[in-house]
Amino acid sequence: MTKEEACASRFDAMLAERGVTRRRFLEFCGAIAVTLGLSEALAPSIHQAIAQTVIGKAEGALTPVVWLELASCTGCTESFAQVDTPDIATVVLELISLTYSETLSAGAGFSLEEAKEQTIQNGGYIAVIEGALMEGWDGNALRIANEKGTEIVAHTCSNALAVVCLGSCAVDGGWQAAVPNPGGAIGIEPFLRKALAAGEFSYVGGEGDLPPIINIPTCPANPEHLVAILVDVLLLGRLPDLNEYHMPSLIFGEYIHDNCPRRGHFENGEFVYQFGSEEEKKGYCLYAMGCKGPQTKTNCPVVRWNRRVSWCVESGAPCVGCAQANPNKEGFNWVDLNSPFLNRFKNLRVGDIIVQPAALAATVGAVVVVALVVHGFGMKATGRTKGGADFELERAWDQKHPDQAIGAAAAAAQAAKVQGVENAAGAEPDADATAPTDAAATTDATAPTTDATAPTESTPTDTNSTEDSPTEGGEE
Amino acid sequence: MAETTTVSPEQEGTAAGTSGAPDASEGTASGAPDAQGAPDATTDIVPDGEGAEAVGDPSAPQQVVPISGEAPALVGISGGPTGSSIIDPVNRIEGHLRIDMEVADGIVSDVWVSGGLFRGMELVLQDRRPTDAVYISQRICGVCPVSHAHASCIAAEKSFGITLPTSARIIRNIIEGAQFLHSHILWFYNLAALDYVNPLNALSADITETVKLANAAGTTEADFANLAKRLAAFAENGQLSLFSGNWFDSKELDGTPAYKLPPELDLIATAHYIEALEMQATASEISGLIGGKMPHIMTSLPGGTTWVPTEEKLDDLLFRAKKLQAWVANTMLPDTLAIASAYLAADGAAGDFFLGQTAGNYIAWGVFDDPSFEPSARYLPGGVWSFNEPAYQQVQDWDETLITESTIHSFYDESADDGTPINPRDGITAPLFRDEYIVANGQHPAPGARYTWDKAPRYDGLPFEAGGLSRLLVAYNRGVPEIVEGIDSLLAALGVPGNLAVLNSTLGRTGARNVETKYIADKMVEWTEELIEAIKGGDTSTFVETTNHTGEGAGLWEAPRGALYHYMKVKDDRIEKYQIIIPSTWNISPRDGNNVYGPMEQSLLGIPIEDVEKPIHALRSVHSFDPCVACAVHVVEPKTGREFSTVTSPWGVK
Repeated sequence: MTKEEACASRFDAMLAERGVTRRRFLEFCGAIAVTLGLSEALAPSIHQAIAQTVIGKAEGALTPVVWLELASCTGCTESFAQVDTPDIATVVLELISLTYSETLSAGAGFSLEEAKEQTIQNGGYIAVIEGALMEGWDGNALRIANEKGTEIVAHTCSNALAVVCLGSCAVDGGWQAAVPNPGGAIGIEPFLRKALAAGEFSYVGGEGDLPPIINIPTCPANPEHLVAILVDVLLLGRLPDLNEYHMPSLIFGEYIHDNCPRRGHFENGEFVYQFGSEEEKKGYCLYAMGCKGPQTKTNCPVVRWNRRVSWCVESGAPCVGCAQANPNKEGFNWVDLNSPFLNRFKNLRVGDIIVQPAALAATVGAVVVVALVVHGFGMKATGRTKGGADFELERAWDQKHPDQAIGAAAAAAQAAKVQGVENAAGAEPDADATAPTDAAATTDATAPTTDATAPTESTPTDTNSTEDSPTEGGEE
Repeated sequence: MAETTTVSPEQEGTAAGTSGAPDASEGTASGAPDAQGAPDATTDIVPDGEGAEAVGDPSAPQQVVPISGEAPALVGISGGPTGSSIIDPVNRIEGHLRIDMEVADGIVSDVWVSGGLFRGMELVLQDRRPTDAVYISQRICGVCPVSHAHASCIAAEKSFGITLPTSARIIRNIIEGAQFLHSHILWFYNLAALDYVNPLNALSADITETVKLANAAGTTEADFANLAKRLAAFAENGQLSLFSGNWFDSKELDGTPAYKLPPELDLIATAHYIEALEMQATASEISGLIGGKMPHIMTSLPGGTTWVPTEEKLDDLLFRAKKLQAWVANTMLPDTLAIASAYLAADGAAGDFFLGQTAGNYIAWGVFDDPSFEPSARYLPGGVWSFNEPAYQQVQDWDETLITESTIHSFYDESADDGTPINPRDGITAPLFRDEYIVANGQHPAPGARYTWDKAPRYDGLPFEAGGLSRLLVAYNRGVPEIVEGIDSLLAALGVPGNLAVLNSTLGRTGARNVETKYIADKMVEWTEELIEAIKGGDTSTFVETTNHTGEGAGLWEAPRGALYHYMKVKDDRIEKYQIIIPSTWNISPRDGNNVYGPMEQSLLGIPIEDVEKPIHALRSVHSFDPCVACAVHVVEPKTGREFSTVTSPWGVK
C-alpha cells in the first residue's frame, strides 16, 4: 500500500464515521470540479488531494477561516494581533481554525496554498480579506503563488459561508484607490459584483448570488470590530445587522462627533486653531484643525484603540475619517474624500481640477467655526435638529456632472492606464493633460469662495446631496 | 554533515559558482563576495572538530559563501534533489514575496527574489500636502508606520528648515522605540520562531523537566502545565488552524530532522510565543497612547507632535516601558541563546549558524535623535561599513548622493528608463508589468528578464544589507558602549568570542536583532525619564509652526527592518515630487546592471535543500531579513510624462 492509498483509506474511514459514503463524497468532489470549471474526471484527484489533508480534520470545534492578504500593509493583521477580547492565541487555538494566513501560518509555499485549497473545497469557512484588490495590468499588479489576485479572490469567495472585508482597503480600495489609483485598486464587494455580472464569479451557495459580505472599514480595522463579528457569526449563528454598505449597523451607525469626549468644547465654541498652542494643551475641540469626526460614522470614541488605551482625538489628533469607505460608489475612498486632512474642507474640485489655495486654507477653519456658532450650526450638527450635520461628501458640482465626478475621474485614469500599457511604446498622453488643466484652472478662482461658504449656509434640504455617503446613508 | 564533504568536479563547479554571479559570462562584479578579502575567523565554533577538518582540507571545494574564510563547505550530495524549488507565498512576513531557486544536488545554485505587488504610493502623494504625506505614506506598512511617519516628517522639516523642540524629539524617540520593540518581539517569537520551534512537538514535553530546563536556561517560567492541556485539547480536536501546511517534518540533507528542539524547549518557546503576543501588544499600547492608535499613528507631524504629555500619560508610558525592559532581559534574550545553543549543539558548524551569508556590506541611516540631530550621533548611529570593501572597512558617514536605483531587472518601461543607476532625486520610473515573469512551473526567469516590482538600490555602486544587523555593526564600529558589550557577550555566549564575521549569517541577523531589542528597551525607560525631567524643567514646547512651505529635503531614518529614505520636493505646501526607498528594497533587491545579486539572493546561494517543496533553510534565511515587501515596491512620478499614462490625472495640476 502506498502512502497515498494509506492516507486515502484513513480518510474514507473518517468519512464513514460521519455517515458519508465514499461515493457521495466523490459526487461532492465532482460538484466542486464542475464549479471550478474542471472536468469531472478530475474528481478522483481532488478526492486524493483532500484525503491528504494538510489542515487536519475537515470539521471540528473550530470554524475554518481563510485570511487573504491582497494589496495590504498588513496593518489589519497587525491590528488583529493586538486584540485581548479574547487574545489572539485563544482565537486561533480555541475559536477559529486559521488554515491560511500569510502573516501567521506556520506553513509556506506549496503546502500553505494546499491548506487554502483544501479549506475552500471543504466549505463552511469564513473568508477574511485584508487589503485592496488590484486590477492594474489585467490583475497582474498583484500576484501571489503565480496567480492573479483577482482569480484568488473569486475562487476563495466562491464557497465561503461569509466574506469579511477587513479594513477600508478591502471595502473600497482605500488609499491605494486614491487618485490616480496607480495599480487599479478596487474593493472586494465591487469587484465581486462586477465579476458576477461578467459571468466570472459564481457562488456555490446560490446561483447568481454574492456570498454574504460584511464590510468593516477604518484604517487599519479595529480588532474589536472583527471579534464582534466573529462572535456574532460563531456564537450566535447569525450575521450582524448590516446597513446598506454591508457594514454592521451597531458599529458604524453613529458619528464620532456624537460620542466625542471633546464635544463639550465644540458646544462651547472652544477650538484649537494651532498645534502647540494653549488651546491644544487644554484639550479643546479639533474641529478647526480639520477633524472629520462630525462626518465619520464609527464608534472609535467608545471602543477606542490598542486595548482601549486611547484613540486619535484623545491623543490630540484630528480624525482623518479613515472609516469613510463606500463599496457602492467608486472614488469615495477616505483619502480623496478627506485630504487635505488638516483642513476643514477637502480640496476643491471642479471636474478634473483640484485646488485648495494655501492662503484660503489657513483662514477658512477659523472663519467657518465662527460662522458655525453664529448660525447655530453646532446645534444642528448634534443631530438635535432634523437632518443631521451638513457636511458635503459629494459635491453638488459632481452630482450635476457625473461623468466628471471623482469616481469617473479615477475610472478614466484607469482606462487611460490600460490604454497606456497597450501603447506603451509610443503614447504621448501628457500633451493633452496640461491643456484642460490650464483651461479649467481659471475657473478655480471662484470655486473656493463658493465652497467655503457652502456648509455655513446649507439648509436641511442640502443633505440630499449626501445620500451616497456611507456616513450619511443610515440617517433616514 | 561530515558525509557530504566529497564532491565531483561538476558539483564543485556548481557550488563555486555561487560565490558571485552564477554565470561567469554575466560578469562577477565588485559586489560579489570575495573569499580573499574575508577577515580572519576562528575555528572554535566547531565543537567536535568535524567541520574544522573539512575547512582545513585543501581538497575541499571552494567555500560556497566565502565571507568567513573558515566557514564549512556546503556541497551537494549525489541523490540530493535537483530542479526547481519555489517558496510562493513566503509566509510570516509583511507582503507578497516569491523565492524562485534552482537546486543542484540539494544545493541552491541560482535564485530570483521577486516582489509580487505594485501599489504606487509616490503617485498617490503627488500634489498633496506634506502633512497629508505623513498620514498616507505610513500606510505603506502596517508593521513600521511610525518610521514612515517620522521619515516623512523629517523630509518636510528639512525642506522647511524646522528644528524640533526637545520634548517633541524625545516623544518621537519613545513612540519610535515602542514600534521597534513591538516589531522585534513579534518578529522573533510570532514570525521567525516557527522556523525553529514546533509547538506540536511540545505535546510530549514533561512538565517537571520543562521547569528545570527553563531555570537552567535562565528564562522565565510560565504555566507550562496549563499550556500543555490547551495544546492537548487543540490536538484532540484535530483541526490544525495556523499549523496547517506546516513544515515541521522538514529534514536536513542527511535525513535528520530540521526541527531540533527537545519537546521541553518547544513547550517553553510556545509559552513565550503566547507571552510575546501580549508583550508586542504592550509595546503598541505605548504607540497607541502617544499616537492615538497603532498601526498608523496620528500625532507626529512636521514641526513636532500633537500629543500633549500629561502626568497621567507619562505614568502610563513609564510602567509599560519598565515591564517591557524586564521581559526582554529575562525572557527574550535567554530564549534566543537557548534556541541558538540547541541548534548549534545539534548541527555544529554545518547548521544555520553559517548559512545565509551576504557580501557583508551594511548600511544604516541611523535612528533615535540625540540633541545634536546629527545622524552619526543618533542613539543607533548612521554609517556605512563592510567586512570586505576596503573603502568601508572603517565605518563612514553616509552620503545621500551615492544612493542609486536601477530598474534593469524590474517591471518598468525601458522606453522611459533604460535601467541606468540613478539617484532617487532624479528618478524616472515607469511601471509596466511583463508577461515574461509568468513562467511555467519548473522554469525560471530567462537571463536578463525583468522579474520583480522591486528596484535595485545600490550605495556607491554596491549592494548593501539593511536592518538590525547593519545598525548594530555600524554602532559596534562606532563604539556605542552598550552595543559593543551586547555583541561581545552574544558572541561569547555562543562560543565564538570576538568573531564578528559569524554574524554575517541567518542566526547572526536573528541574534543581533534581539541584542538591539534589549538596547532599545533600556533606552525607552531612559527616554521616558528624560521626558519627565524636561517637563519638570518647564520645557513643554511640543510643536513649532512654520510659515515656509516651499523647499526640498530627505528624511533618512530607520525602520525596524533597516534604512528608510523619504524625499519630498514641495512648492507652496504642495508636493511636486515624492520618493521613498524602503529597507527591504535594499535586501530583496534583484540583480543590478552588472548582474550583481541583491543581499537576500546572495544569502540563498549555496543553501542546502532537502525537499524542494519545503526548503526550510532557505525560508529561515529569508525570514532572518524580516522582509517587508509591500513597502518595497514603489514608483515615482515619471518625469517625462510620456511612458505611463495614469499621470494624466487630476493631480497633474501644478
